[in-house]
Amino acid sequence: MSPADSHAPLPAPAEPARRRGAFARTVRAELRLVLGRRRNVVLLIGLALVPLLLGVVLYVTQSGAFAGQGPGFIGRVTGNGLFLVIASLFLCLPFLLPLCIGIASGDAIAGEASAGTLRYLLVVPVGRGRLLVSKAIGALVFAACAVLAVALTGLVAGAALFGVGDVTLLSGTTVSVGDGLLRVAAVVVYVGLSMTGLVAVGLFFSTLTEVPVGAMAATVVVAIVSGVLDQLPQLSAIHGGLLTHHWLDFAEFLRLEPDPGVLVQGLAVQAAWLLVFGSLAWARFTTADVSS
Amino acid sequence: MSDDNAPAATGAPARRVHSSRARWAVPGIAAVAVAAAFGTPALIATASSSDAPDVTAAELVARVADAEPQALSGTAVYTARLGLPEIPLSDVSGADPINLLGGSSTMRVWTDGQDRSRVALLGATSEYSVVADGPEAWTYSSEDDAVVHYTLDPADRARYDELAQDASAGRAPDVAGDLPTPQEAAQQVLDLARQDATVAVGAPTTVAGRDAYPVVVTPTSETTLVARVVVSVDSETSTPLRVQVWSRDDADVPALELGFTDVTFAPPSDTALEFSAPPGASERDVVVPLPPEPTPEELADAEAAGAGDGALPPGTTVTGTGWDTVVETAGVDVVDLLAADPSSVADLPPGVQERLESQGAQDLYEEFVPQDGSGPVPELDASTLYEQLTTEVPQGRLLSSALLSVLVTDDGRVLAGAVPADVLIDRAG
Amino acid sequence: MDGIGLEVPQGAVYGFLGPNGSGKTTTIRMLLGLVRPTAGAAWLLGEPMPDAAPQVLPRVGALVEGPAFQPYLSGRANLVRLDAHDVTSDPRTLRRRADDALERVGLAAAAAKPYRQYSLGMKQRLGLAAALLRPRDLLVLDEPTNGLDPQGTREVRHLVRELADTGATVLLSSHLLAEIEQVCTHVGIMSRGRLLVQGPRDELAAADGVEIVVTVPADQLAAAAGVVARSGLGDVQVVDGRVRARSDTVGPSSGDAALEVPPGRVSAALVHAGLDLLGFEVRRPTLEQVFVQLTGEGFDVAR
Repeated sequence: MSPADSHAPLPAPAEPARRRGAFARTVRAELRLVLGRRRNVVLLIGLALVPLLLGVVLYVTQSGAFAGQGPGFIGRVTGNGLFLVIASLFLCLPFLLPLCIGIASGDAIAGEASAGTLRYLLVVPVGRGRLLVSKAIGALVFAACAVLAVALTGLVAGAALFGVGDVTLLSGTTVSVGDGLLRVAAVVVYVGLSMTGLVAVGLFFSTLTEVPVGAMAATVVVAIVSGVLDQLPQLSAIHGGLLTHHWLDFAEFLRLEPDPGVLVQGLAVQAAWLLVFGSLAWARFTTADVSS
Repeated sequence: MSDDNAPAATGAPARRVHSSRARWAVPGIAAVAVAAAFGTPALIATASSSDAPDVTAAELVARVADAEPQALSGTAVYTARLGLPEIPLSDVSGADPINLLGGSSTMRVWTDGQDRSRVALLGATSEYSVVADGPEAWTYSSEDDAVVHYTLDPADRARYDELAQDASAGRAPDVAGDLPTPQEAAQQVLDLARQDATVAVGAPTTVAGRDAYPVVVTPTSETTLVARVVVSVDSETSTPLRVQVWSRDDADVPALELGFTDVTFAPPSDTALEFSAPPGASERDVVVPLPPEPTPEELADAEAAGAGDGALPPGTTVTGTGWDTVVETAGVDVVDLLAADPSSVADLPPGVQERLESQGAQDLYEEFVPQDGSGPVPELDASTLYEQLTTEVPQGRLLSSALLSVLVTDDGRVLAGAVPADVLIDRAG
Repeated sequence: MDGIGLEVPQGAVYGFLGPNGSGKTTTIRMLLGLVRPTAGAAWLLGEPMPDAAPQVLPRVGALVEGPAFQPYLSGRANLVRLDAHDVTSDPRTLRRRADDALERVGLAAAAAKPYRQYSLGMKQRLGLAAALLRPRDLLVLDEPTNGLDPQGTREVRHLVRELADTGATVLLSSHLLAEIEQVCTHVGIMSRGRLLVQGPRDELAAADGVEIVVTVPADQLAAAAGVVARSGLGDVQVVDGRVRARSDTVGPSSGDAALEVPPGRVSAALVHAGLDLLGFEVRRPTLEQVFVQLTGEGFDVAR
């Protein structure tokens, strides 16, 4: 006797229909996961401590022998709190920001794969392309939060410790506080956009492995190696295309007349990395077997 | 639930493999598209030929000489491939004129075509600006937030104003650590073109997106290190847009190149041309004497005439003519000089025949020497740098580059010229 | 992996049996579109996979190789997160559906606890709850009792039986014979990437007939053997003071009716012959024996 006979057949559900706003739901869930995760919150807090620490150190030593000295914009902080934002970003750019962003983006897919949750997401089902895009959005939002964490604490701490005044540009010209704030905001936006290429690289590595630490480390290594290659004069031919080459071009906003050409070039290079590694990640993720 | 015997299965494998490959083609296409997007502008730039009408060399040089000075702003790139030993430039982090010794530097230029201009040498996160505003000039280094203000003394100031009213362009005070612009460099070369060189016009080309005529100045001398100098002149405004100095050593790339990559012929904004010391910056005033012969034409003539008119400082002799000229200065103890006493450098003469080159060299020389204990490059040990740039020869120490040789003999003579090192060594005896 | 067609009737609990490494999980992964076949294709509910995944998978609840959830989210939040990725689910009914699913697996009380604080059994239950988050045509449960203590194992089996009672179709894979025997109505046996046999459990068990063991006093052994042989059974032999014989399956139906010689007739004949019948045993082959017969090797060593 077959049990099939003993039960009335279940009514076949209608063809499942896609609902409006479904992607927004997916993205919201991803953001809740990324921003709610304690490790990520700790990373953001750590980044936010950088300007605080730098500000306090500069405040304590400002009457000492080293006042007004330091690479980048550190020497200017004591004169104008707005520069704490820029000096902090400058300090975080070579390592801390890539580290935090590498962790978040390298973890995106590999973390799910290693936890085994990836297979459950895929049998929900969620389209792999859609899942990848929501992961990319999550990583990009985290990158933006990382930059903003530095910028906002820098702004608050700088204003509190040193006050905010007219801004002296690199060319020696002084502009008003309002103009200065706009320029600093533009610097923050540019730095944020400069991280998009790295996010794409991290996402690609994340699709290659089930070991999140491996993907994170590889991502950070790419940023560091890119910085090292940028120092080698023998490779000057490829410098312009390196991931990190244009990161410091945020200084353009602190020049007399920011050259849109320079800024567009820097953003175009990021867009190129985003395009190439984004499509690599897509090709890999949509064809890979999930066997974790 | 699954059934591999279904007829539809027959076509499926091929399609699936295909779709998987097709997906991997997407990043390939993306990479090609990116390469194309970044490569094409460069290709177009090199491939495009100008259709400007032909002109003769004489016409062109005359046009440049007669051209109204143009108000412009733009970006210029300076590239030196002088073949100098590696300099530990990583010690020099920010924007500093010493960067002009080697590698590539980017500058922003603003000028109203008259006596106001700003030239900024760009570092990654720093800037070194030279602002000239009539009788005043400033240099500002963002790295150490330091202003140097150059002014004329009151008597000279009065004379300057007179000259300015005569509508002849006044001569701004000399600035230590001045930055060259394509126009100035070209003007100097064309001034020199008349002597001991053939001048021709090359095929029209494109510089900074504008049609330009290359004026090719080829020294007649076989001895000099300079193979030719190419000045590319804007076909519309006759403004020099690019200067290339080719060495005999390298036929592929110019040893020195200074040219606009981007230029706009429009009066720059006032903010670009004026300067006031920012609050909190360290400020130093330097009063510069106005030279006795103030107009650039006369000055150029004096330089072109070369030696023997008494203008040379004592102890300096000039041998050779034209491009082969070697300047010899006796009684300079370079080692002591580098170690301690900066004042004696002031007398070191510029190379007469190649002012672009030797002016830069002198500027550099001055940069190395700490002034008032706070030179622009405090970290860089001048003596060490000297050791690194020069090589030991029997007569003393030799600096040999693609365009210029300098021999410092052990008996305190300095010989310099745009000639091979052997010539200097022969001259030194 | 070669030509596997799992025929799971509606409402059946299909036991997918095979030793570790026999290809059960790979088959399930292929069916769910997680792994692409190197050649060939996979069909699920009549649709090609993974191409039709968006249409098919919402109708399928799955527990693949143990539960896996975000450890820092609560059980409930994990269900909500999974549902948020489902483009066809209705967010308005999510709260009720999540509560129902948690209630059904007995996790309602622990719904707010972080997943990492769950015991293994609770994790397994949450996995089932995720599979039950919306009405499904098919539940695919891969090794649902793996790693559970006996109590957890009992609970999960109970749950599966409950689900089956409500009419769900279940595909249950396991390497544990006992589990399949206890829970399943249908069985498919897999070894080394091939599906050896499948069908209703009772039919499978009876497929090779039954063994009848007769115990009589020693002096009546020969007589008993004679009666047994005359009643039509084959392979009659006397071993260890007992008479053994086989009754082969002939008919298509299941149970004793399919047997060539019904055991009842044999026992009646023995009694009728006046023998002292001390024991009469009908030995049906276990699934393990079926497996050993099919593969010629022990169940646990096949790799």
